[in-house]
Amino acid sequence: MESGSWNTGSDRGHRRMRLGWACLVVFLHLSLAAAHAVRFTTSLDRDTITLGESARLSLTFEGGSPQDVPVVPSVANLQIAYVGPSSQFSFINGQVASIVSHIFLVTPRQSGEYTIPAFTADAGGTKLTSQPLKLRVLKPSAPTPEAINAGAQPAFLKLQLPKKEVYLGEVLTCELQFHFHSSVQNYGNFSLPPISPPGFIAGKPVQSQNRRVQIGNAVYTVLPLVMTLTPIKTGELSAGPITAGVVVELASNRRRRDPFFEQFGFFMSGGEQKQLSLVTEAEPVRVLPLPAENVPPGFNGAVGDYRMTVSVSPTNVATGDPITVRVEISGRGALEALTLPEQTAWKDFKAYPPTTRIETTDALGVQGTKTFEQVVSPESSDIRELPPFSFSFFNPEAKEYRMLTQPAMPLAVRPGGVTPTPVIAAGNRGSGEVAPPAQDIVHIKTRSGAMATLGPPLVQQTWFLALQGVPVLAWVGAFVWRKRADALANNPRLRRQRQVAQLVSKGLDELRRLAAAKQSEEFFATLFRLLQEQIGERLDVPASSITEAVVVERLAHAGLGEAGCGALHELFQACNLARYAPVRTSEALAALVPKAEQVIAQLKELAA
Amino acid sequence: MRNFRQNCFASLATAGLLLANPAVAATPDAQSRFDAANKLYEERKFAEAAGMYEQMLQSGSGSAAVYFNLGNALFKSGQMGQAIVAYRAAEVLTPRDPDVQANLRFARNQVQGPTLRPGRWERWIGTLSLNEWAMLAAGAFWVTLGLLGIMQMRPQSARALRGGAAAGAGVTLVLGGCLLLALATRPANRLAVVTARDVVVHNGPLESSQTAFTVTDGAELRVLDRKDDWLQVTDGTRRVGWLKRREARLLADS
Repeated sequence: MESGSWNTGSDRGHRRMRLGWACLVVFLHLSLAAAHAVRFTTSLDRDTITLGESARLSLTFEGGSPQDVPVVPSVANLQIAYVGPSSQFSFINGQVASIVSHIFLVTPRQSGEYTIPAFTADAGGTKLTSQPLKLRVLKPSAPTPEAINAGAQPAFLKLQLPKKEVYLGEVLTCELQFHFHSSVQNYGNFSLPPISPPGFIAGKPVQSQNRRVQIGNAVYTVLPLVMTLTPIKTGELSAGPITAGVVVELASNRRRRDPFFEQFGFFMSGGEQKQLSLVTEAEPVRVLPLPAENVPPGFNGAVGDYRMTVSVSPTNVATGDPITVRVEISGRGALEALTLPEQTAWKDFKAYPPTTRIETTDALGVQGTKTFEQVVSPESSDIRELPPFSFSFFNPEAKEYRMLTQPAMPLAVRPGGVTPTPVIAAGNRGSGEVAPPAQDIVHIKTRSGAMATLGPPLVQQTWFLALQGVPVLAWVGAFVWRKRADALANNPRLRRQRQVAQLVSKGLDELRRLAAAKQSEEFFATLFRLLQEQIGERLDVPASSITEAVVVERLAHAGLGEAGCGALHELFQACNLARYAPVRTSEALAALVPKAEQVIAQLKELAA
Repeated sequence: MRNFRQNCFASLATAGLLLANPAVAATPDAQSRFDAANKLYEERKFAEAAGMYEQMLQSGSGSAAVYFNLGNALFKSGQMGQAIVAYRAAEVLTPRDPDVQANLRFARNQVQGPTLRPGRWERWIGTLSLNEWAMLAAGAFWVTLGLLGIMQMRPQSARALRGGAAAGAGVTLVLGGCLLLALATRPANRLAVVTARDVVVHNGPLESSQTAFTVTDGAELRVLDRKDDWLQVTDGTRRVGWLKRREARLLADS
């Protein structure tokens, strides 16, 4: 019985357990069924934004998740970028709820009303479709000058143009300035949509040096972006408005900033973050057409300020050979748009498309050199020169057209296969040396001229060097002569000695002549005078004061020997006798000459 | 007055040239060979004409005209370096011949690549030959010493001649300086002209040495040194290297 009762009780318990299990299974079934009913919704964090700002689009799956990220529909002027997934689990009253979100960032390019179409997703084999969303994008507006002056604007954008009136094709360098109020602690996350004002071609912005300016009562930090604008159509255009987005950090009273992190430049370390949409004023620009007057021939639209150099190589070619014409155009302007003008004068040349190369000297790419290498080949051997090359442009500063011309350059073109006849290469070889316009070498000479040999130079020839000694010797001789003359002039005794010696020498010859002529009186007169002169010179007394009686004694004292004195006496006696008894024979007269020579010689040997 | 001075200068230079380069009238045989070579040239047989001019020079029948015509024949036959050597030889004999100057300049302008360009002083000194400078300097020397001699012989005229003698001494010094400069810049033995088409100048006097730079036919190079069959040369810039002796011709060889 106990067993039965127990059994009875046990059966009842079993029934209850079976019922509980059945309820649990039903509950779980219902729960799973509820779980399998995935809910798919889409939402925007804001349905109205300003151009330059972004909206956050969330695709939320509750109770499941799609196998793949839903495909983003394409919307004109709306950029939708996937950010990433986000998951959330929750237990509510014992129930498990899972929420999976896929986040997108929606950035409009233009203002207006946008409809984001419905998304479709596949979650657990079930196709889910969301509802379309509306997004309204407002045009941003530039702040008023009063707001700027008062410092009420944490940031604003300004487009600075150098001038308001430009010529078609003129490159305009402008500055897009981000102004941040001094209350802005930090800024970043710039979003600058491609700048394309209608009627302009904008260059790539280049960041310039930051600076601080005071506007009204406020101080702003200016972050400038320099860029170029090139008008491509005439009329009243507008450079702007240009919009940009930026996230700024404003000082907040709620949290203190951490100076530790701040010193490492951590962005948004403390203040209040705010996304701003900035826009510039619409800057009116008047674009003038290029003047229709005085347009140079061959003008092909180049605007700017340029210089040109042209070189040609080689200049000695055969017909059909390539000649490279290198044209370098340097200066400021739209270098990219420069093209070589058509050269109508090059009709005798076959021209190939030129290659170009640009070397800029500034970050904006408007200053530099564009090099064209044009290959041409002469088609006739009659060609003597490369015709002049011209390049014209409009200078917007001077408001006039200008033409650069390279003069014709000589060429030597020979028929193919002929021995080359070189010509002078084009271009200046030196600043001071001007190449003559010769086409060929000077012809040969027809007369051989005087024969001459190339020998060693004169300065290496002995005879020439020896010859230079002649004037030196002559001068030395003249110098010595002069010295001797001076010495003679300063020594009367010596001068008299030489005069007497000369006189005696001539007198002896005269004596011989007179002896031969039997001129007795003249002979003895001459003899007597010679003796007087010689004795007077030796005794340093006047010749007229010399008499036999006076001198013999003094001569004996001077060293004249007895023989000498005797001979002198004889001669004096002969002179005296001749006055009364002249000698008639020439032999007798001639016999006296040796005696006179001997006596004079003895007198010369006496000490003066 | 200027013409007078130019005439005086030209006369002195001509006299110097005559004395410096003893010239004799061309013999009939030499003239006939010269005419025959010219005929070959006119028939555009440049190589044969050049050979005939060379024969004339080897036989001692040389003249500035022969060197000039030889240069033309070599130029026309494409031997740029040899042509420049011939023109420079003609220039030594007739430094102010405009034809020689024109053709030499013309030939030099055809030379591509590194080459020695004469400086301003060298060009100015080159307006007179070395012998002409020597004659002018010697003439001034003689005149100066003559005046000094007269001053010794005739003391009464010394005062009048003193200024002339001083001027003569100054001119002698200047001309002597020019002569020294001409001697220093004399191309012979210091200048080589490349006569091969494309010549590699090595860093050292070895075939295996690395290439320093390359020169082309007609390039003029200054010789710095010699070693065996190699010449150390420079193009006047900082480029220095060695080339084989047979690939260039020293101006002294002309």
